[in-house]
Amino acid sequence: MLTEYGTKHAVHVITNHFGDLVAKVCECLLRKGPLTRQNVKRYTELSDEQVKNALLVLIQQNCVQAFTTEQPDGPKANTQYVVLFDNILHRVRFAKFLTILSQEFDQQCVELVQGLLEHGRLTLKQMFDRAKSSEKEGNLVDLDSLRETLVKLVTAHYVERCPASEPLLMPISEEEGPARKKGSKSAKKIGEPETIEQQVVEAALPMEAMRFSVVTNVESDVGEKEKNSNNVTPGEKRKHDVLELDECGVADEQSVVYRANFEGFIRRLRHKGCIDHVRAHLDDGAANVLSAMLQATSSAEKKVKTKNSVPLSLSSIYEEVIKSEAGRNMTLDHVRASLVQLGELSFVDASSDSYSIDFEKIIEIAQNEEVESVVSKRYGRDAYRIFRLLSKSGRLLETDKISDTTFVEKKDAPKILYKLWKDGYLLMEKLVVTGARQSQFLLWKVNRQILWKHVLDEMFHAALNLSLRVSYELDREKELLNLPADKRTGPLQDRYNRIRKVRILLESSQMKLDDAILLFHDF
Amino acid sequence: MSKRKRPDSNAPSDSLTDHERLIYDVIRSNKQDMGIWTRDMKRELKVNLPDNIVTKSIKSLQNKSLIKEVVNIHNKGKKHLMAVEFEPSKEISGGAWYSEGSLDTEFIKVVKSQCLKQIIKLKVATLEGISDSIKRSGAFKVDLTKQQIEEIVRAVVLDNQIMEVKSNGSGEFTNIPVGKVCYKNVSKGGGGGEPKTGSSASVPCGVCPQINFCTPDGVISPKTCVYYTKWLDF
Repeated sequence: MLTEYGTKHAVHVITNHFGDLVAKVCECLLRKGPLTRQNVKRYTELSDEQVKNALLVLIQQNCVQAFTTEQPDGPKANTQYVVLFDNILHRVRFAKFLTILSQEFDQQCVELVQGLLEHGRLTLKQMFDRAKSSEKEGNLVDLDSLRETLVKLVTAHYVERCPASEPLLMPISEEEGPARKKGSKSAKKIGEPETIEQQVVEAALPMEAMRFSVVTNVESDVGEKEKNSNNVTPGEKRKHDVLELDECGVADEQSVVYRANFEGFIRRLRHKGCIDHVRAHLDDGAANVLSAMLQATSSAEKKVKTKNSVPLSLSSIYEEVIKSEAGRNMTLDHVRASLVQLGELSFVDASSDSYSIDFEKIIEIAQNEEVESVVSKRYGRDAYRIFRLLSKSGRLLETDKISDTTFVEKKDAPKILYKLWKDGYLLMEKLVVTGARQSQFLLWKVNRQILWKHVLDEMFHAALNLSLRVSYELDREKELLNLPADKRTGPLQDRYNRIRKVRILLESSQMKLDDAILLFHDF
Repeated sequence: MSKRKRPDSNAPSDSLTDHERLIYDVIRSNKQDMGIWTRDMKRELKVNLPDNIVTKSIKSLQNKSLIKEVVNIHNKGKKHLMAVEFEPSKEISGGAWYSEGSLDTEFIKVVKSQCLKQIIKLKVATLEGISDSIKRSGAFKVDLTKQQIEEIVRAVVLDNQIMEVKSNGSGEFTNIPVGKVCYKNVSKGGGGGEPKTGSSASVPCGVCPQINFCTPDGVISPKTCVYYTKWLDF
């Protein structure tokens, strides 16, 4: 279920990108769940045309997916629309996605994906037209090289074929339930029921082989046939064949639509996050080793939230490490020592001479540190120790026990615990003991599941606030920003310098906060 | 020749008034290391003494170094009286880490820093190792018990300055049995034991005490927020 500020933040993103009308339809779907077009019209009180256009924009931009459901008896149900909350969140990360690409691919790849992110989805021809319209002198674009670029990106799973436009969602029967959950790629954990959004996304996905394939045989086949037809007297049948292939081939290439594969980028960001975390905790050597292990095993990952990497032997890891410039000077002993260090922190599992990354552990530690940092800064060092004690113990502890273990004054501990409880960071239980005298004890606990949801909501709230403050500051200095440079003198220049710094700080903070949202929502 | 009465330290009662003796006996006969709350003591007196007499007697006994007042850590308003020869139990005094009813923060700080110093010196240390190392260093006049060292080490773990690991019997754990709990310095972790500032905590909202009252257009909002104004004051 979406939290309040998760919803508000998503609506704000859509408003900024597509305006109030589209945002109204989006908010309706976020708050009410999947709806038919009729119901969207009813709840938003917009005209049919307005609702249709808003939905088209949202679908084009991969923020909404249409689907139908099968009725056990009777006609097929109306088309319903479900909002893809995750994809709305991704909209603020496009710059991060493009940075990843620029580190791995050339400028043409970056520009192609930039087009896909901007327009939501494109056919190859549309990509070509777009590239042509912005081509520079001496840097002409040709279809073949563009197709090659597309193939590279699709092979790397950064681009995919668009899903089915209106998949049929089968109702899950009770018997099928657990089996489906276990087999489901998108269920977050075994046993956690899939949301409608997850079910629809999964139903819409093309088969893996088709999802990451590009129609490449058309031009070459047509080219070959044309060559042959030149050499051989064209028989009617051959001509007919060529024409048929030509029509089908060109139609295929024209009709196949591609979009950026957000999953591919998120997986890469997850890897990067883990490497950065290891570097911060250990050193560059350990980070190089982890990076090499990821390089060697990432193609085997089936989903974003993979728990463990495929096991590798020490020699395979070493071979991969020395391939990179950063790892070239590492000796086998150094790699072995780094693996021991990683093992000590449980970041890597070692068994029978093979090593496997424990992603869940790395992410768990990173999440703990994020929350502990908030507790420390907001409530102080005593609260930090108390929170860490409760978080590590994972069970209910009594007030006196907490104050003794954490060396917090007996009179201060209850106040700190109460404050943490009131702000949703702890659970509290009262225990009344009747004996010679009735005594009441207060017990406290950290419930990770509840707390993590609360923390994520606070992050969405902070993200929304940052965005609102940016708009407020820029709006306040709108006239100044529109002033030509030569007219900005004296105090105006000072104000201009200030608004520049403000913008840089707020926008970079938005990106940094988004790293925390990724950690809690996507990784 | 008359025998001079020698002052006898085992018979202080010689110098006590009757009232003082009554009060002293009640105090002394009670659970020795728990002492007795003043009000409870008055109730146990066989005779009903007026308050001013009781107060005067208690003061006199204290001046004669026969009894002492001990603060009850669970209720600082309740003063306990006990004979000087007894040490207050942990239940009353709070234990080794309490002094006059409050945490002896200076002492705790010193012991923490000594533990950390020894762990850094030893690179990997068990509790016994830390304890022995501290004893050898002679940093403290009194010997700290293993339990006390353990309590402090656990608190240093909670401060995130050291981490708890289990020995695997090899490498740096060579002389430590497999599975034994050891402690190591946290290699990196911000400056001076401060936790590294997370992404959320580096923006005003992440650490704001008013976040639950803040709304986009409310009295407390990002546009009116004083923390933002301060943060953006270039």
